[in-house]
Amino acid sequence: MGELEQKFAAAFLTEGRWILYFKGLGVTLGIAVLAAILGVIFGTVLGIMKLSFREDGKKTLWNILATAYVDVIRGTPSVLQLLIMWFIVFATWNNGVAVASISFGLNSAAYVSEIVRGGILAVDVGQMEAGRSLGLSKAMTMRYIILPQALKNMVPPLGNEFITLLKETAIVGYVSLTDLTRAANQIASRTYEAFMPLIGTAVIYFVVIKILTLLLGVLERRLRESDQR
Amino acid sequence: MISVKGLVKDFDNGKHRPPVHVLKGIDYEISAGEKIVIIGPSGSGKSTFLRCLNLLERPTAGQIFFDGEEITASGVEIDRIRTRMGMVFQNFNLFVNLNIMDNLTLAPVKLGLLSKEEAAERARALLKRVNLLDKADVYPSSLSGGQKQRIAIVRSLCMKPEVMLFDEPTSALDPEMVGEVLDVMKRLAEDGMTMVVVTHEMGFAREVGTKVLFMDEGKIIEENTPEGLFDNPQAPRLQDFLSKVL
Repeated sequence: MGELEQKFAAAFLTEGRWILYFKGLGVTLGIAVLAAILGVIFGTVLGIMKLSFREDGKKTLWNILATAYVDVIRGTPSVLQLLIMWFIVFATWNNGVAVASISFGLNSAAYVSEIVRGGILAVDVGQMEAGRSLGLSKAMTMRYIILPQALKNMVPPLGNEFITLLKETAIVGYVSLTDLTRAANQIASRTYEAFMPLIGTAVIYFVVIKILTLLLGVLERRLRESDQR
Repeated sequence: MISVKGLVKDFDNGKHRPPVHVLKGIDYEISAGEKIVIIGPSGSGKSTFLRCLNLLERPTAGQIFFDGEEITASGVEIDRIRTRMGMVFQNFNLFVNLNIMDNLTLAPVKLGLLSKEEAAERARALLKRVNLLDKADVYPSSLSGGQKQRIAIVRSLCMKPEVMLFDEPTSALDPEMVGEVLDVMKRLAEDGMTMVVVTHEMGFAREVGTKVLFMDEGKIIEENTPEGLFDNPQAPRLQDFLSKVL
């Protein structure tokens, strides 16, 4: 057996190490998906809050609160937010994946709120006026007319946000959760051989994200087709 | 039917510039069945005046009464009033995410005025009148401008409004499509609908209007029957305007 094969075997096969990568990938994807769900729901609420103005054009209290939240989240490193969640806010909760998901979800919500706000603002104001002129309330027009159109604008940047989120979860190693990156790092330190586990892990991330990108492309095309009917 | 008293509208122009006075005190009475046509140079405030009538623009000062009820009073449910006032926009504003049938039935159904079947039946009858019944299942993007505007009129009519407001309904159309939209509006006028129309179509104003208003710089400068206003204009600004557009 050549040297390269030996290194490959040590990195991926010996003692069933490939299982560690799979478990790590599971943690990575689990946190990313849970955080994305939380981020999209909370982010949509924040985005709508940021669009709320009083009749005299001034910001509502909701708007001020949401804006402050986004400022704080964007103004501090996500690693630090994770550490604060882990060691302070949820110090006594030992479900690591849940704490990390909440931390990333709250972080992602800030970015999603801007995507939602931008997506709604990109819809022609005439659509809201037409809805209101028929006697529909603002909320009804939002729900039946504006949000379905805004969603189409939001898919590409939301996909982008999810991809960023997926990779950013690699920092959970800081709070000793074993995600894909940490699994690779552990194997590298056990085998005294970094090349195979790290490059192999990079390939895994790349393939997962490539598949995701293709799926998002399909979704985007589907959504656009409904315009052409 | 609609009574406007001392209507003023200022637009804020940022913190450091003075507000723009778009409407400088308008008083007017519109009776049921009238067809009021508003003409005037761009920037004269005629669209803003129209948009104040259903409170798409909030007046800065003044009162608007609809059927005796002051709609500018605080606490008035404007959504309820708007169901009785149709509006047609320059840019059609059909809901691009819905097909034509859903465009027409969304408001009456969601507001609980009609069942889905009743709304669809009314929509089909109205579509038939504008010769667009075959477009019920298509999306707005596949229609021409003239077709879109006829659908937009039908969408308002599905609410059985008591008055129809038209904000330059033919200004965004290719010339060959103006006629088909004006025809629909003329038929509506013949059926007795109360109409307020902001337009640059002087032929329409003369033919359909019961009254024509000339607005300039936020005020009604002259008001008369079409014959009186077009054939015997008094104000110099109106004479000047007519010499440019006729």
